[in-house]
Amino acid sequence: MAEKKGAYDVAASDTDFRKKYDRAEYAEKAQKREAEEKEERKLRYEAKLAGKKYYKPMTGEEEFTQARHNIIDVSSKVGKIELMGAGAATGKKGKGAGNYCADCDLTFKDNMQWVEHINSMQHLRAVGQSGEVKRATTEEVMQRIDELWEKKEEEKRGNVMSVAERLEIRAEEDEKAREERRMKRQKMMERKREEKGKDVKIKKEYGEDVRVEGEHDEDDMMASMGITGFGTSKK
Amino acid sequence: MANHRADEKRFLDDRGTHSITTPNGLNPATIMEKPVRERIIECFYWKAYCFALNECDIVTRVVEDVNFIGGTIGDSQAPSPFLCLVFKLLQLSPSHDIILSYLNYGGEKFKYLRALACFYVRLTYRAKDVYELLEPFLGDWRKLRRKGRDGGSRLTFLDEFVDGLLTKERMCSTALVKMVNRVVLEDLDQLEPRVSSLGDIEALLEESDGEIEEGENGRGEERGDGSESTPEVTEKNGDGRNGWSRNSKAPTPEAIEE
Ligand SMILES: [Zn+2]
Repeated sequence: MAEKKGAYDVAASDTDFRKKYDRAEYAEKAQKREAEEKEERKLRYEAKLAGKKYYKPMTGEEEFTQARHNIIDVSSKVGKIELMGAGAATGKKGKGAGNYCADCDLTFKDNMQWVEHINSMQHLRAVGQSGEVKRATTEEVMQRIDELWEKKEEEKRGNVMSVAERLEIRAEEDEKAREERRMKRQKMMERKREEKGKDVKIKKEYGEDVRVEGEHDEDDMMASMGITGFGTSKK
Repeated sequence: MANHRADEKRFLDDRGTHSITTPNGLNPATIMEKPVRERIIECFYWKAYCFALNECDIVTRVVEDVNFIGGTIGDSQAPSPFLCLVFKLLQLSPSHDIILSYLNYGGEKFKYLRALACFYVRLTYRAKDVYELLEPFLGDWRKLRRKGRDGGSRLTFLDEFVDGLLTKERMCSTALVKMVNRVVLEDLDQLEPRVSSLGDIEALLEESDGEIEEGENGRGEERGDGSESTPEVTEKNGDGRNGWSRNSKAPTPEAIEE
């Protein structure tokens, strides 16, 4: 440190800009990985001997598994069209038609398969859960009872409200319907009156027309037979 | 205290080594018969709604899903939600305090929660405790719906259900373990002679006659939306029908014996 060095005192080799690799560190990492792999092989082997499935050992950071509230949300898919890749329909792997698990990249054809999957250890580990459920205390149970009771009471009150509301809405609708009928009737009356008026007008026009006796009779007769004139200039 | 497993695998795998023994000395995993157990763990309700429940969630499920009592139902012998939740309770084996909160505090609010807890107590508790815990509910006359094997609905009452638990050999597709007779326990001084919580037996009989008729008349409306809110409200307001809170100061106590 005490030694003073100029900017160019150190003879820099032209490879100094490269990242320095710590051989020792890498050797250690490789060793560790190998050990882990060996351990996993061993666990897999033991699991197989015991007739069980192997799951990755837990890290200790997994969350408790909790009871689900909405198990199957079909309503979110109603009225939606999903496009599937051509190869999507075969097997469970990847996204396909059905319930898709994004965490495991698997698709399930029916609700039963889906539920079995989201209950499976494979899935629980994928979402970082331990499959353990926290035991509840008596106080928590009491609290839940209170909450549910409160909710039920609330709903009851809500229902009473909605009955009153429904009656009100019904009354409004009745009034609307009556109003509509009234309008309709009025319109019909008007139309009738109009038509009557037109008739009168036509008749009036007709009546005003100076008719020569017999002059139009022929025309009228022919018109009634669907013949309109013979190209005569008369008219 | 150890936590629960979300599923039933360990519960059913345990062959005596780690499994808890119930107070009446049974393995909770084998209290229900094997075919029934298998139907339960294979049914959709179990997989979708009974997974990862704890003692709190049991209450939620009862309140939201249980609107009748029954075992396995119909041609397919599908297990009822009630039966599935009994099985879940066997898996959880809740503490005694929690069972008491189901029976009493929760049971007063939610009749099916009381029914469920009564069933569980009958399956797992010692005879003396079964009598002591369940008998007070012989005065709980709230209506319950019950479905038989054929799938038909029938009106019953909580007291009738509890009476069945105390006297029958089978209920809800489950064999009820034999209990020491009450009289024997009385002779052994383990139980006090039962004091009826109901008071005057004559008045009771008259009342319950009327109740049954009323029930039959009202049967048509039993079907449908499944809401039992109305009877519960009247009971909650508890005018004449508050018999289910134990009334030990009844004017003429009478022992009811089998
Ligand atoms: Zn998954």
